[in-house]
Amino acid sequence: MRGIRLLLVEDEESLRFTLAANLELEGYDVVEAEDGEEALARAAEGDIDVVLSDVRMPKLGGVDLLKALKERYPTLPVVLMTAFTSEHRVDEAIRAGVFTVLHKPFEMDAVSRTLATASERPFVLVVDDDGACAETTAAALGAAGIAAKAVFSAAEAITAMETGVVDVCVTDLVMPDMDGVALARALFAAHPRVTVVVFSGHDVPHMMQHAAAAGAFRCMRKPLHPWGLARVIAHARGES
Amino acid sequence: MDRNETAERGDGHARRRRLSPLAKRIFDERYLALAKRTDRMFAVLLIAQWAGAVSVAVWLSPYAWSGMERVVHGHVYAAVFVGGAITSLPLVLALRQTGATSTRYVIAVGQVLWSALLIHLTGGRIETHFHVFGSLAFIAFYRDLRVLVPATTVVVLDHFVRGMYWPESVYGVSNPEWWRFLEHAGWVAFLDVFLIMNCVQTYRDLEDLAARQAEADETREALVRTERLAAIGQLAASVGHELRNPLAAVRNAHTYVARRLAQEGMDARIEQFMGIMKHELEESSRIISNLLDFSRPRDVEAHPCPLRPLVDEAITLLPALDGVEVVNSIADDLPAPEIDKDQFRQILLNLMQNAAEAMPKEQRGVVDVGAAGGGTEPWRITVSDNGPGIAPEHQDKIFQPLFTTKTKGTGLGLAIVRSMVERHHGELYLSSEVGKGATFTIELPPGAPLGAE
Repeated sequence: MRGIRLLLVEDEESLRFTLAANLELEGYDVVEAEDGEEALARAAEGDIDVVLSDVRMPKLGGVDLLKALKERYPTLPVVLMTAFTSEHRVDEAIRAGVFTVLHKPFEMDAVSRTLATASERPFVLVVDDDGACAETTAAALGAAGIAAKAVFSAAEAITAMETGVVDVCVTDLVMPDMDGVALARALFAAHPRVTVVVFSGHDVPHMMQHAAAAGAFRCMRKPLHPWGLARVIAHARGES
Repeated sequence: MDRNETAERGDGHARRRRLSPLAKRIFDERYLALAKRTDRMFAVLLIAQWAGAVSVAVWLSPYAWSGMERVVHGHVYAAVFVGGAITSLPLVLALRQTGATSTRYVIAVGQVLWSALLIHLTGGRIETHFHVFGSLAFIAFYRDLRVLVPATTVVVLDHFVRGMYWPESVYGVSNPEWWRFLEHAGWVAFLDVFLIMNCVQTYRDLEDLAARQAEADETREALVRTERLAAIGQLAASVGHELRNPLAAVRNAHTYVARRLAQEGMDARIEQFMGIMKHELEESSRIISNLLDFSRPRDVEAHPCPLRPLVDEAITLLPALDGVEVVNSIADDLPAPEIDKDQFRQILLNLMQNAAEAMPKEQRGVVDVGAAGGGTEPWRITVSDNGPGIAPEHQDKIFQPLFTTKTKGTGLGLAIVRSMVERHHGELYLSSEVGKGATFTIELPPGAPLGAE
């Protein structure tokens, strides 16, 4: 089995060299590019599994590269990295379907894990007993460039987790049979690396409390705002 | 003049306005200057009156023939000795305790006693009574209407007593009407009315002036502070930006070398140094992150966030400190405020770490994190410790960037915490008593979600 083929785009040579060396050590097959234009050319040569790109670069910057790549290869996961704490272009990147944005400096292990997850092209599971709500949310995420699947009960969610690559599960808290807290606990027991985001339209501080204590990444309130959710998902994927 | 005296004087003016602490300080300073100036003028006047009285006595009082000798009239002795007696105490106080409240009372009484003596020395001439009016007007220079009370009382009492026992001394006649002192008192009261009105008005003007001055000072200080912050922010941002990429490259290189060496095996010294490099690189990254956090605050991404689990999480991130216990006393059923989880984790971590680090080694320290609020109540999150507390002179400065009492650190921690709290439309307070500990309180507005789209 060949290694994951990574396209690394970074204009600063010292960063690119050291990053590439480390990722090669981790078993990645690294293709280097020093700006967005070169990256597009490398991507056209084919066979790229995942892209890791800086945001600020001469010629074609990271966010524009992301847009160009998404246009040509809609399912290709793109991870951006930035040296700025508040990069107003991060929002733009989320709207363009970035997998996640990493903040420099980062731990090599974390980058490696994030890239491995991204290369598997995972999807987001949306769980809500209100079928229409689940479908709408999944569709909105799909439109935002985030692959998502809607299911309507905790049991369905557990089955879906077994059959597909899911890295984030967005679940309603108040559901018949098995509620969101129980689902979160079951998921964490079976898949320790999964991220769980819980939401509710009801005032359920106890459930939120228990979900958070169990390890839920975020609590959200209904109605879910698609961009707000997309931001939370991108954020969660960067913290793996 | 201390605070109590000012407060007392305030009672005299029924509707004293509430001045800000700065305005009060400015007012007190100016009032003290006015009192001192008036004290000094009275010192000069008292000496002049004494000299004047002695010459009046010598010039107006005839030498009396007593047998074969030419003797000095009793008035001259009265001028020298009685005048000396009523001058000395006010004079000493005016020079030694300039500006004190008691000084002006003594001066006021001394001054009207001088009127009495001068009236006596001039044989009760009605014209000399004008000295009383002059004195009262001069006493009103203190802008303290309470000083007029003893002065007026002494004048009236003097007229009454001398009018009864020695009318020539005060009215120049031996058989004045019994109500003569009332007539004099009436005119004195007439003057007092205007003097009191004037005192009250000028006192208020002084207060207004102090309030305006304080406002101007505060505005100017805020401006200087903002400019200073902006300058620090710009510097921090450019330094942080310039250092971030090189530092990331060094970290990457270190990681690579460390892994290769780990595969091949390394001697103890190299392993130790690789560890030191890793630690120091992480420390540098943390400092740069702080600089950037300070100069470019992150946007708030607010979602409902249960506080109890968040505090538990922050506690696990707290570096272990011997002898310090962190207690999470947030209720299980507390509703979840809408906050940025990452920023609040950092806020709590920073406040808890400060509290823990402030604990003296020999003490068993307790850091308590509490929270209340929800519904229409504002949120209040408190981080309290039983450490040494924060000195009053540091309490104002503690939130200012670059201020630190620690030997290590950038002095940005609390400034960042405060800016994060303010980005949540909240406020950060400190209350502390030296020796008893410190409590930081974060207050967030109730209800409506913040910052969420």
